[in-house]
Amino acid sequence: MEVTPPEGVPIRFEVASLGARLGAQLLDLVLTLLAIGALVLLLAQLFTFGWWLVGFASLAFFFVRIPYYTITELIWNGATLGKRMLGLQVISAEGRTLSVYAVVARNLTKEAEVFLPILFLLVNVQQDPVSAIVSGLVTLIALIVPMTNRKRQRIGDILAGTVVIRKPVAILLPDAATAPVELESQSFSFQTHQLDHYGAFELQTLEAILRKIERPEAKSATLVREITSIVEAIRLKIGYAEAVNPEDHGRFLSDFYRAQRRHLEARQLFGDRRSDKYHATADESE
Amino acid sequence: MDPVSAAAIRSVRFRREREADWRQLEMLVRKSEQKGVRSLGWTEAQRMARLYQQAANSLSVAREISLDKNLLEYLDALVARAYLAVYAPQATVGGVVQKFLASGAPQAFRASLLHIVLAVFCMLLGVAIGYGLYVQDQSWYHVFVPPELAGGRGPGASTETLREGIYGDHDSGGFLGFASFLFSHNTRIAIFVFGLGAFLCLPTVLLTVYNGALLGAFLALHVDRGLGWDIGGWLSIHGVTEIGAICIAAAGGLRLGSAVLFPGQMTRRDALRHQGRDAVKLALIAALMLFAAAILEGFARQTVQDMTLRYTIGWGIGALWLLWLLGVGRGART
Repeated sequence: MEVTPPEGVPIRFEVASLGARLGAQLLDLVLTLLAIGALVLLLAQLFTFGWWLVGFASLAFFFVRIPYYTITELIWNGATLGKRMLGLQVISAEGRTLSVYAVVARNLTKEAEVFLPILFLLVNVQQDPVSAIVSGLVTLIALIVPMTNRKRQRIGDILAGTVVIRKPVAILLPDAATAPVELESQSFSFQTHQLDHYGAFELQTLEAILRKIERPEAKSATLVREITSIVEAIRLKIGYAEAVNPEDHGRFLSDFYRAQRRHLEARQLFGDRRSDKYHATADESE
Repeated sequence: MDPVSAAAIRSVRFRREREADWRQLEMLVRKSEQKGVRSLGWTEAQRMARLYQQAANSLSVAREISLDKNLLEYLDALVARAYLAVYAPQATVGGVVQKFLASGAPQAFRASLLHIVLAVFCMLLGVAIGYGLYVQDQSWYHVFVPPELAGGRGPGASTETLREGIYGDHDSGGFLGFASFLFSHNTRIAIFVFGLGAFLCLPTVLLTVYNGALLGAFLALHVDRGLGWDIGGWLSIHGVTEIGAICIAAAGGLRLGSAVLFPGQMTRRDALRHQGRDAVKLALIAALMLFAAAILEGFARQTVQDMTLRYTIGWGIGALWLLWLLGVGRGART
């Protein structure tokens, strides 16, 4: 999903899966029930037991549970404790600040949309089949709606204009082009026509392989075989006539990566984006 | 052609020049995520906002010039996190509550007067239907009033039992339990008349009329036994607030429904969101009033026995609600 903040640069977010959201919801339920239970137990210790305690417990069920979601989402920038634990967050679908109204609206509708029908279903399942069926239907609709739209919004999310996303993790690895090179090893250079075969997809696949080689535990026999076959495949494809010694394979790949990347990036600057090795045939078919 | 050195690649130089700033932004964002934006000082907060703009800029450029997949993914994630930190909600819980009470709620109420009149009309219509049908045939009572709400009060009960229901002291100590039962019952009705409004208003209208009919049949039963003035007082003390709350919740539901029915120039989704702003506030007012009604019900209904006092408290509190909703927060609407 893309969100465009006021800066005008679209930001990509990964929409949270329904499973993760269910998990966060269950965590929140457990937390609030624990809090209510602790409160009731404390009161039962302090005062003598009476029917008022049952009344208090059912009131507390409302007055702890309903504000919990709104208040935690306000305090922690759109994440209840359960969402925080699972790395989820509520954001505004329009790329603006998550408004107080949005937080209140999506959590109030959660009561009518999710909790009450399920509660009704459980309470009425034996005595009153008609309202059990009706509440079952409402629950079903509430469950189906987020499955039918691409942003996984439930009715409350649509009303509030919010989306639940997975919080992105930012990891910056060293640039694959600046990997240290063994000075004494032979260096490789390529002709322009040799660099016209591949596109961005192959380049980025090669990037992933270079990162694998850099790791110290990389010297397994399977990886060495894999590298050999890759080098051979590239040589065949680009028509690199000279044979490459096995000990120079790493150097060959990283030299080819740099040359290929500079070439493709330069082409891209001139408006010639090559997404993969089929770019030439794709151009002709247009 | 010579072998290509890393420095000859434009995107490598691009990254080298900016990496320190990105790292700094990463640190500031992490700090504000863990300890809140407030933990950043003035200079740090300002710096974070500027670094965020630069990083957004870098992302936009990198998408054009760089084919380094890890760099693109990193910048995407970094800018996303920084965006969430920079545009985090600034409101405090206390400030939100204060603003709601001082201006948001009364303004939403006044903006929905038409819907409130409609909701009250539905309720009164229901009362008239319930009352009229009871006068025709007493067995209608059982159609409208569910047995657990009636508590043994029905056409079959003696006048003495009814009087006992109004003036008698219910099993003491149970008041909190009874209040919480009624509270959850009424809250459920309020949530349904509100939430189901989105389905073209129809469920809201039906439920409101039905609740009016329940009330009408109940009233007719007591008037029939010559207890009209007494049941009025018994109901007033909490009913003014409670029935008012249900009407306001119904008005919220009607607003949602009318957004779906008559979206005007907007798409239905946008209209729903637009009307939702005031509708949600109406629902919150209703919740607040229901809470007050539950307290009144639990504490005051059986302890205050004097009829005139019952009327005074009930309608006095009703007048206070109106005073708040009609009087407070006049001035420029924010």
